[in-house]
Amino acid sequence: MKWFRQWAQKSPWILHYNAGSCNGCDIEILAALGPDYDLERFGVLNRGNPKQSDIFLVTGPVTYRSRERLVELYTQIPEPKVVVAMGACTATGGVFRGMYNVEDGIDTYIPVDVYIPGCAPSPQLLIDGMAKALEIWVQKSRDIEKPHRLFGGIRKTLHYLDRRTMAQTLAQSKEKEPQ
Amino acid sequence: MSDTKTVQIPLGSQHIALLEPVAFTFQTQNERIIAVDADVGFVHRGVERACASTFTFDQVATVVARVCGLCAITHSTSYVLAVEELLGVSMTPRIAYLRMLMVELDRIHSHMLCLAHTAENAGFEALFMQIMHEREIVMRLQESITGNRVQFDYVTIGGVNRDIDAMVAAHVDSELSRLREKIEHLYGLFDTNITLSRRYQGIGVLSLEDAMKLNALGPIARASGLAIDVRSQTSTFPYHEVGYAIQTHTAGDIDARNRVRLAEIFNSIEMSQNIVRNIPEGEIIQKVRGKPNGQAIVRIEAPRGEIFYLVRGSGNKILDRVRIKTPTFSTIPAMIRTFEGSMYADAPAILASFDPCMSCTAK
Ligand code: SF4
Repeated sequence: MKWFRQWAQKSPWILHYNAGSCNGCDIEILAALGPDYDLERFGVLNRGNPKQSDIFLVTGPVTYRSRERLVELYTQIPEPKVVVAMGACTATGGVFRGMYNVEDGIDTYIPVDVYIPGCAPSPQLLIDGMAKALEIWVQKSRDIEKPHRLFGGIRKTLHYLDRRTMAQTLAQSKEKEPQ
Repeated sequence: MSDTKTVQIPLGSQHIALLEPVAFTFQTQNERIIAVDADVGFVHRGVERACASTFTFDQVATVVARVCGLCAITHSTSYVLAVEELLGVSMTPRIAYLRMLMVELDRIHSHMLCLAHTAENAGFEALFMQIMHEREIVMRLQESITGNRVQFDYVTIGGVNRDIDAMVAAHVDSELSRLREKIEHLYGLFDTNITLSRRYQGIGVLSLEDAMKLNALGPIARASGLAIDVRSQTSTFPYHEVGYAIQTHTAGDIDARNRVRLAEIFNSIEMSQNIVRNIPEGEIIQKVRGKPNGQAIVRIEAPRGEIFYLVRGSGNKILDRVRIKTPTFSTIPAMIRTFEGSMYADAPAILASFDPCMSCTAK
């Protein structure tokens, strides 16, 4: 899988969801995707499909009606996924905090990896946050592969997982490990 | 075989062609839309209620700016004008000019975003990139004048927060000249490019009668030949001094809307240049005392049409009522009328040409 991993790590696609923002953050995302800031040089593409996305970029303080969609979209994104909260109001509710239809930030519903501060954050900050998100994303993909590496890679005999050999390799590697 | 089966197609609330959550349900017959249902309430936050219960009147200008990031300056300006009317303050010429400058720069970048979005929805990615690149000129100008790119809380009760000096004024002037050349090129593209004209001409037509009957506003009404513009109807800002001219078109299709927007960008560039060249001397902030008592109504032309503010206070720190009526809210009936009878494949392009702002609508 090594040859494949090189590509997989480099081109994360983002899913942008507006959970009740004022559009200020959304137009900054568009500006960042434009040629002047060029977020695409990190391989980041804006795709509207949650099933193909890796980074979930949320703006807005989460309104009462958008919370279901938010969780739904979050669950539809395959692992490993990174959640980026853009803007002050996504982090805490910002200026909308305490309004009757607002749920005060997205971390009441889904776990967040990167918070981008500001109202509205400048595209430079967004790029900074995205670079951070990429690091976390690479780390998360490594973590997913960890069980495989523990067993010293996947062994197969006639299309079936050869658990016995894998367990043996594991035991051998443990013996070798200097305590 | 006259098979008239009706198919229901949902669009939204999350969709790549949409910047904001809005859900449409199209009833289609053989690709032709026969009825539309729009659900716009996804981003309702309760700003009006909070303005009249949590925040004091001098804080509200910051809050109402967050109703919409694209026309933030028009929201805060309208609110501030209403409160100033209640407090008995009138703008000095310099304050009026500075506010007008920001409103016009905001119009330029908002229209350019709409054009970029229309191009993208028609599948013209390269044009989207080009317009976004040129839009950065305006964004940088806004940053140099106010200190922030999008949510610049520039207007406060009594005046504005930052002054512009001769250097910034000269910079704005020269950058706008540069922008005008680029827009001229763009205008030629919209005029002659065969892809764009095929995709846009005769699509999504809103007739003059419908525009009048359904209360269309802003560039959409002007593209159908209805000459309404708050800038020419009110005298809040001295628009006649800086060379304002109403821009109309008669076709009423997507192409006409694009052209009206392009013409308005030209006009706004000209006005902004006149403003920075002939800006009057004076203070940028006035002393204001008292609490708002009474009721005031303000109308301002936002990029998408008329914005309406009603502010009512009874001498307390907290206002009794802030009512906001935004242009997209009034345009929805016209938008639904335009959808009916057009092809489903054109729906995203029509939607983008209306440039709806749901966060304004739902507040
Ligand atoms: S952080 Fe500010 S600019 Fe961004 S969506 Fe919230 S209110 Fe708007």
